[in-house]
Amino acid sequence: MKKPSTHDQEEREFGEEVDSLWRIVFSPLVWVFHFLACYIVTAIICAKMPAGDTLAGLRWFILGITLTSLVGIAAIGWRSWKQWGFVDDGVKVQDLPTEEHRHEFLAHASFLLSIVSFIGVCYVAVPAIFLDSCR
Amino acid sequence: MTTKPSSTHKLLTAALVLPLSGCDGLQSVLQPAGKEAAEIATLFHVLLVGAVVLWILVNGIFFYVTRLNPRPLSRRAAETLIIGGGILFPTIVLGILLAWSMSLMSSQRELGNAPVSVSVTGEQWWWRVQYRREDGSLLASANELRLPAGERTEVTLTSNKVIHSFWVPALAGKMDMFPGRVTRLALQPETTGTYRGQCAEFCGTSHALMAFQVVVMEPNDFERWLDDQAAPAKEPEEALALEGRQVFLREGCGACNTVRGTPAAGTTGPDLTHVGGRTTLGAGILPTTPDAFTRWIQHTESIKPDVYMPSYEHLEQSVLEALGHYLKGLS
Repeated sequence: MKKPSTHDQEEREFGEEVDSLWRIVFSPLVWVFHFLACYIVTAIICAKMPAGDTLAGLRWFILGITLTSLVGIAAIGWRSWKQWGFVDDGVKVQDLPTEEHRHEFLAHASFLLSIVSFIGVCYVAVPAIFLDSCR
Repeated sequence: MTTKPSSTHKLLTAALVLPLSGCDGLQSVLQPAGKEAAEIATLFHVLLVGAVVLWILVNGIFFYVTRLNPRPLSRRAAETLIIGGGILFPTIVLGILLAWSMSLMSSQRELGNAPVSVSVTGEQWWWRVQYRREDGSLLASANELRLPAGERTEVTLTSNKVIHSFWVPALAGKMDMFPGRVTRLALQPETTGTYRGQCAEFCGTSHALMAFQVVVMEPNDFERWLDDQAAPAKEPEEALALEGRQVFLREGCGACNTVRGTPAAGTTGPDLTHVGGRTTLGAGILPTTPDAFTRWIQHTESIKPDVYMPSYEHLEQSVLEALGHYLKGLS
């Protein structure tokens, strides 16, 4: 069997880091899409809806999109938590110029951004609980 | 023997005079006279007290760990402080405050139920006001709003050319006025009196001179006032005022302003049928005295820069005084 070259190994590492870099922005992106969907759909419904109609449909939409977003962010956060590997090695600070530290640092950053995005999505959805008219 | 105040004492007094002057008066959110403003003031006070407590707490801890008991914290204690005090505590406190402030939204936006509704249009730089009574009759006014105490009056807002913002701090929050679009708010004043409103969106050269008065009256007095306002202008009795009316019509003032009961029926400028009975002139900037009317007509463009109405500096002083008397008599 052919032994993998150094180049192949680097490529695998690099390839994984490309994935990790993307994963950093996934949670904030879910937050952005959730924010835009909530505000744009509410604006369109309020502009088109006859006065006096209730907003029950809009509230269900916001509830649905919020739960979906939270599940998505939780999944990205869980994957980042596993990649960070804190439970395995207990390393909290990744400050060495090694592949392992870079790998874990990116996961660490992605995990923390998932927490911020989770809170952000919850806050964006709170007005829907109190929304009773378009006034 | 009296002791002279120290320079620190003087400086402190001087520093407090300006901010404290904002706590009182006709235009203070801290002295609410309406339902919405009272809710906003409560929200403000709770946030202020909370912010002060948090500031003392955070700086107290900082002072304790850096000055009173400076020693290294264990990693566990530091992490507990960061996660607990930096993530969990603010998230929960902000979440509670967000939910509370959102819960106030629906009462702030309740529809009005008073027998009169008002529409206000932002002009440059004055307020066109129109009352609609239960029988559908319309009543034009300007630069002053009268409201019945204890009733919730619906106010629809729009603008003629640029964006303005309608704000009576003692009664409610502000609401923007857009050209081609109608916004609304409802005012529920609880205490009779006079309050000041101000345009709260920069709208051009004389933005700061675009104010108005809100007079809150007992409901019965308000109904009587509406009846009076519906009547045409009183015939002037004095010779000076009669001369003023002739000047008003001769100089073409009626091309822009309406005085019901006379040929003056212009709508570009404010309705002047009862202008003498208003609390201010020129949108909240001058008193309604004969002298002020004279000064306003003579120097309009210097009193309110870029206003559409031209100054009538070419008129003789005696003619201007006659005009001033006539307008003051329109009460």
